[in-house]
Amino acid sequence: MDADERPTVISMSDSLLSADVECVATPLALSTDIYAAGLNSALQRWSRSDAQSHEMLAAPMVVGWRPPRSRVVTFGLTFPEAISFLPPPAEKTDEPNLQRLAPPQVEPESILDEVAPKKQVTRLKPPKDALSLEDRLFYLLQPPLQTWLAGQELIMPFEPFPFQYEGIAWLFSRDAALLADEMGLGKTMQTITAIRLLVRSGQVRRVLLICPKPLLPNWQREFRMWAEELPFVVVEGDTDRRKITWTMPGIPVLLANYEVLVRDFAAFGDGEFPKFDLVVLDEAQRIKNRDSLTAQTARAVPRRRSWALTGTPIENRPEELGALYEYLEVIPPRGTPDLKQLQTLAKEFILRRTKDLVMKDLPPRLDRDEILELSPEQRIAYDQAERDGVVHLNELGDQISVQHVFELVLRLKQITNWDPLTGESTKLDRLDADMEEIAASGGKAILFSQWTKCIDWLAVRMKPYGSLVYHGGVPNRQREPILKRFKEDPDSHILLMSYGTGAVGLNLQFAGYVFLYDRWWNPAVEDQAINRAHRIGCKSQVIVTRFICKDTIEERIDRVLREKRELFAAILGEGDATNRSLSMNASEIFGLFDLRARHGKGTRSIGPATPEAA
Amino acid sequence: MSAVATQDQLRLGFLTAVEDADGGIVGGLLVTNRFGRPLEFQCTTPVRPNRTQQILYGPTLRPYLLTEVIGRTLLEKVGVQPHLVLTESPELLDLRLHVPMPVASLVAADADPADGVVMVLGQQRLRFHADFPQDGRDIERRKDQVPETADLKEPFERIREALSETLKMPVAKAG
Repeated sequence: MDADERPTVISMSDSLLSADVECVATPLALSTDIYAAGLNSALQRWSRSDAQSHEMLAAPMVVGWRPPRSRVVTFGLTFPEAISFLPPPAEKTDEPNLQRLAPPQVEPESILDEVAPKKQVTRLKPPKDALSLEDRLFYLLQPPLQTWLAGQELIMPFEPFPFQYEGIAWLFSRDAALLADEMGLGKTMQTITAIRLLVRSGQVRRVLLICPKPLLPNWQREFRMWAEELPFVVVEGDTDRRKITWTMPGIPVLLANYEVLVRDFAAFGDGEFPKFDLVVLDEAQRIKNRDSLTAQTARAVPRRRSWALTGTPIENRPEELGALYEYLEVIPPRGTPDLKQLQTLAKEFILRRTKDLVMKDLPPRLDRDEILELSPEQRIAYDQAERDGVVHLNELGDQISVQHVFELVLRLKQITNWDPLTGESTKLDRLDADMEEIAASGGKAILFSQWTKCIDWLAVRMKPYGSLVYHGGVPNRQREPILKRFKEDPDSHILLMSYGTGAVGLNLQFAGYVFLYDRWWNPAVEDQAINRAHRIGCKSQVIVTRFICKDTIEERIDRVLREKRELFAAILGEGDATNRSLSMNASEIFGLFDLRARHGKGTRSIGPATPEAA
Repeated sequence: MSAVATQDQLRLGFLTAVEDADGGIVGGLLVTNRFGRPLEFQCTTPVRPNRTQQILYGPTLRPYLLTEVIGRTLLEKVGVQPHLVLTESPELLDLRLHVPMPVASLVAADADPADGVVMVLGQQRLRFHADFPQDGRDIERRKDQVPETADLKEPFERIREALSETLKMPVAKAG
């Protein structure tokens, strides 16, 4: 509105009003002045307002996370291919219908996993010097010995004792080992089982085992018993045949004696002798003289593992130890460790258990057969006597009686004891070696024979062991002092007795070893004799050694008696060993020489009427 | 036994794991013949889940790692394939969803059979995955190949010892 404009009051005059009305005009316009300021123009402006368009979110923003497929790095170990073997041929039995009767079983309680007693488990430990991861894992991943040997993959004829499991595990992981268990504790079995496991797990492919010549049949038998699926070959025969045997591929185990090794090693050129993964020396005291050719040869055989077996308390003989350690390659050539070093080495490389240490694991009586090969002279004498004897028996025609056969048997048995012409005797050699170990360990032994003459003959040769004689020919008044001396004299290690002697009351239970130089007809009589040294149930422990000469009448008798025992066990159950009918009957005696039982006497018990009278 | 015969023989796989000092998990698979003698061994380097995984998986982390991650990888990498994979705990049965062979877990004697097929093998009882009833039947046909005295728990101890051994080694060869 314009300031100057003056509003005019317009009085309303109603046309109907006739009277004049005084009108006064009043100016209402007021003038204002605005103060001039800078912000006037700004104030006149409208405030600016910006408009932004915001989209309403239809879906919220998502942060996604998918679990990543992690890359996992792995490390693998394959086990070496083990040689697979043919299963052993099934045993042919003549009476397939007989079944072994199981002993009466105790009713098992309900099996709860948590309550079952924890069986002792022997795990294989890697050797200290195995540095690579693969080597250490190999040992850790093997099954515990008890299950490996108990499963159907490997058949064990008998279950090993706990200390034997430990010995086997110890041998398995060692490149250098000296097993020095006392005689009778099963060094052979532990060695064979360890070899068997090494071959089965692919760790070794070729093994060489060296032993004294008379023991070769023993090792063969033990291999057949404890590792029946493992093929082995004996290095024997003429030079060409032996050479072929040495180089024949594919044989896991070779057996040879010390002399053959020395001879044949020399025949190979330098570096041409075949290599072995494992060489085992039995009766390792043979190489106790470092400079001997035998020791040098043993050290020169190319091998990766070296084991040695001995029954002598070798840790007490430092000079012999040096030679053995050199063979084991744990000391430098010609090294002479001092006493302290010897002790350290012994702790690491020798394992020796003694009978009293493991007594609680052993049964009170342990039987072992030593199968021996006749010496060459004995062999000649024996074969001659057998030939002549059989001819004579056949000539007797209808006159023949059991007594005739019996006499021939006795004569042949005497030859196996010793050759009458030359005095050669493998049994004596073996006895000497065994007694050396026993005497060195302070043990005492009793020896039984059926002939007093043989006992007297042995007494002379066993003098170094303080031999004492106790048989029918010894006057009564001397007997008690002899027994006393045997018990108390520390140098008296062997007592020679005949089967018949010994009234009741003999207390010889301190003797830990019994030798049956030749065997009686009836195992029950043998047992009675042995029981004089050891009664079942008493605390002491006895190891019974039977000498049996291979390929002789002794072997055949042993087989017949054993079959009878098994037959009786199958029919009547165990524990009936006192039955007299375990001795041989007429047809069996005739059968020893393939002579038919002319008189067909059937099952009348035959044998000497009574044991030799005391 | 000829080579042909051994091919048909039952092979067992044992799967377990140990933890290392940093919380990483090392898995191991031991493939054995039917008597428990080892044929092949595969183990992993330590698998360490990160924090996100730990939080998001929560209690399912360990079974997940053992089955989908470690178990599946080991069974893919192993050369000698087992016919049956054994684990120590039923929560690992889901491994069956990721591998082509039967998976079983050792169960206690008083396990409820309704949760899946329960079978006796050796000295232990096994349970298979409930969605795979054919597994139990397949193994049932071959179960006499495993001796009755077989202790199926014992190989797991061997694997754990072996895995501890690999952790001691500063550098493990990557397969």
